[in-house]
Amino acid sequence: MIRVRDHTATLGLVLGLLLLWEVAGQLRWVADGTLPPLSGIFTRLVSEWREYSPHVIATLRSASLGFVFGNVVAVLAAVCFCLWPLTERLFRGINIAAFTVPPIAVAPVLVIALDGDVARITLAALLVYFPTMTAALAGMQSADPGAIDLIRAYGGTDFKLMRHLRLRNALPFIMSGFQVAAPAAVLGAILAEFGSGARWGLGTFLLGSLGRAEPDRLWGIGLTATAIAGLGYALSAILAARMTDTNRAVNVSVAAPAAEAATDSQWKRAMALAAAILLPFLIWQLLLWWAELSPIIAKTPLGVVDYLLTGKTAASAQERLFAALAETIPITIFGMLVGLGVAFGLALLSFTSPIVTRALLPFALVTQTMPLVALTPLAVLVFGRGVTVTLVITISVTFFAAFVVLVQGFALIPRAAFDLVSVYGASTTKKLNLIAIPASRQWIFVAARLALPKALLGVMIAEWLATGKGLGNLLNQSRGYLDYGMIWTVAIVSILLSILLYQLAGLAEWWLSRRPADGSKSWN
Amino acid sequence: MQGLPLSFTNVSKSFSIKGNALHVVDNLSLDCPAGSFTALLGPSGCGKSTLLRLALALETEDAGSVQIAGGMPRSACRSGVVGVAFQDAALLPWRTVEDNIRLPFEVLGRARPEAAHIANLIELVGLKGFERARPGELSGGMRQRVAIARALATDPHVLLMDEPFGALDLILRRQMNLELQHIWSEKRPTTLLITHGVDEAVYLADRVIVLSPRPARIVADIPITFQRPRGTDLLRDAEFHRLCDEIGTWLEHGPAKPSPASRA
Ligand SMILES: Nc1ncnc2c1ncn2[C@@H]1O[C@H](COP(=O)(O)OP(=O)(O)O)[C@@H](O)[C@H]1O
Ligand SMILES: [Mg+2]
Repeated sequence: MIRVRDHTATLGLVLGLLLLWEVAGQLRWVADGTLPPLSGIFTRLVSEWREYSPHVIATLRSASLGFVFGNVVAVLAAVCFCLWPLTERLFRGINIAAFTVPPIAVAPVLVIALDGDVARITLAALLVYFPTMTAALAGMQSADPGAIDLIRAYGGTDFKLMRHLRLRNALPFIMSGFQVAAPAAVLGAILAEFGSGARWGLGTFLLGSLGRAEPDRLWGIGLTATAIAGLGYALSAILAARMTDTNRAVNVSVAAPAAEAATDSQWKRAMALAAAILLPFLIWQLLLWWAELSPIIAKTPLGVVDYLLTGKTAASAQERLFAALAETIPITIFGMLVGLGVAFGLALLSFTSPIVTRALLPFALVTQTMPLVALTPLAVLVFGRGVTVTLVITISVTFFAAFVVLVQGFALIPRAAFDLVSVYGASTTKKLNLIAIPASRQWIFVAARLALPKALLGVMIAEWLATGKGLGNLLNQSRGYLDYGMIWTVAIVSILLSILLYQLAGLAEWWLSRRPADGSKSWN
Repeated sequence: MQGLPLSFTNVSKSFSIKGNALHVVDNLSLDCPAGSFTALLGPSGCGKSTLLRLALALETEDAGSVQIAGGMPRSACRSGVVGVAFQDAALLPWRTVEDNIRLPFEVLGRARPEAAHIANLIELVGLKGFERARPGELSGGMRQRVAIARALATDPHVLLMDEPFGALDLILRRQMNLELQHIWSEKRPTTLLITHGVDEAVYLADRVIVLSPRPARIVADIPITFQRPRGTDLLRDAEFHRLCDEIGTWLEHGPAKPSPASRA
């Protein structure tokens, strides 16, 4: 059976890598011992466990609370979006922002505006929201039309449909959303600990250990964070498997759930769009009023405009901001394109030598659960503090995310299509040209949209922790100088940048195809 | 007798597919008096299911009106007097057979039915022993029988069935026909049965309506006057076969062929 060979290949790959790691560590191959042997990392981890445990507990606590709150909000939101599709359109701006937001950019803002504990839970919840919401909504909307008719035939209202059919139908979907959400909660908790002055937490622990030249400690923390995230993933996967015996693709759906009613007038659509754009700013303003924070610390939308455009700070702020953007944007785009290209190449390989990609796929899936922030310092150890480390992080993050999407997307191409052209004696390259490449166009844009926020996050983390350049560094500096205006500005600008890049990907897709493929209706 | 009248008056319905109008029902009138049993026959895709969906307020007519007990179908459905079995069983996969049969009660907000009532229905459709099974564990025919039990569960005054016996083998089909006749004679719900089986239609109905290919128009309206209860020996009756042949000819040749049967 293919299955067995599959697992053997994966197992072989993993064992080989681990062995290579151990040998490389023992022989100090990498950058003068910055990659310690696995055995050394574990020995140290075990001997220092007392020191670890309060940090682990703190992170676990904020991550789980954030997970719970985020999911409750996500499911409630999905229920609203399903019952009243207009709300989905109004919240589209917020949803895109929740999906594209680089969490590192909002972490300082949350730390400013909220109590430390609440900030950590909020960031975790924020990152949980989107994957669960889209999964839940997709689940509710995919209810069997026959069953919908039946319940309606007995006079069932939308609420009854929700109660008896849609919610239950969404359950396996929600569980598979959890597989993305659980590691995201861990990432959020760690990021918000980062620079929050919190005493406990893996983020704090990591930051405190950065200065010491102890690679095995950093590796220990990175692996612990990964293990926690992986545990969350595994538990969700087990739950999901119990709910349904069909395995679902484990990635965030980037497709917009509901297509707009074709009957809507241009005017009505423009209104919905305007409302969707304005709503996030309105909520931002209302939250600040409600929290009664000092306007010096907590900037309103107008406060940011004043800081960046009209106030006496404007000239200097603009200069610093543009310098940072000029650094961050090119490297993000370049890293993404390279990562996408490599992923595409390797995914195409799945047609000619499936074993390679099948062995790589579980590996790529695992990387999706790794908390990027805990791994960045390790990359810094190995690759130094130059631009290389930023590129390595961005490329690999993009590569793994895109690879997963592409391989899963390719798997949806019916085998019959290949068999058909084989019957006519098509060569492998012909097959790729005739079937795989046209089919992949849709998936490469899905992959781009999915990878984009991760790439930007990777760049910003690397800038913050290592290179001392770009947006990430500007954010870190501003925290040091208590330059609140800049902290808020960077947060909002990086969200807008992320959304802009996201929309550009949509535009590029539209331009290339001129007719959106069925499965990839985007959020724009 | 608890049946309530169902009527279609000058009903037209079209769907728009990519901007083109597809006329499915064209100025059709059909009166099903209280307690009557009407069988609807017609070529595939002619609009039978659409008629049924109109009577369930799942579609809205473009012109004309559909009425149940002189009122809107929607309010009749809400009040729970209508029972329905669709062509595809539409069972909820996470519910057991029992719980699927109970679903209409929950949707209607009615009290939980007595266990004996559900057990009777399950026995009636020959699924005793499968009370706790889930739809995934049942064959297609068994699922359809659950759907039939569910349609009967609320003691409907109007019973609408869309090819409910399609997935059953001949023997089982005969058996189910017998049971259906039995239930119908007892409670006399106004029944509209869509079917492809000419013999089934003649065996069960008071009246067989033959529809034209799309758009659906009534081609023939044939009264069936056999005494009830009808036994299985009717299936070998000469008059029975003559009627089946006549209906078969109507189905084959459509409106072109003249016929002695009266038009509604
Ligand atoms: N919701 C719909 N949208 C567009 N076309 C429909 C819809 N429902 C039914 N049709 C079309 O109407 C015609 C009649 O369908 P139906 O009533 O299901 O026929 P049947 O007599 O086989 O039950 C078919 O051609 C079908 O494609
Ligand atoms: Mg039909």
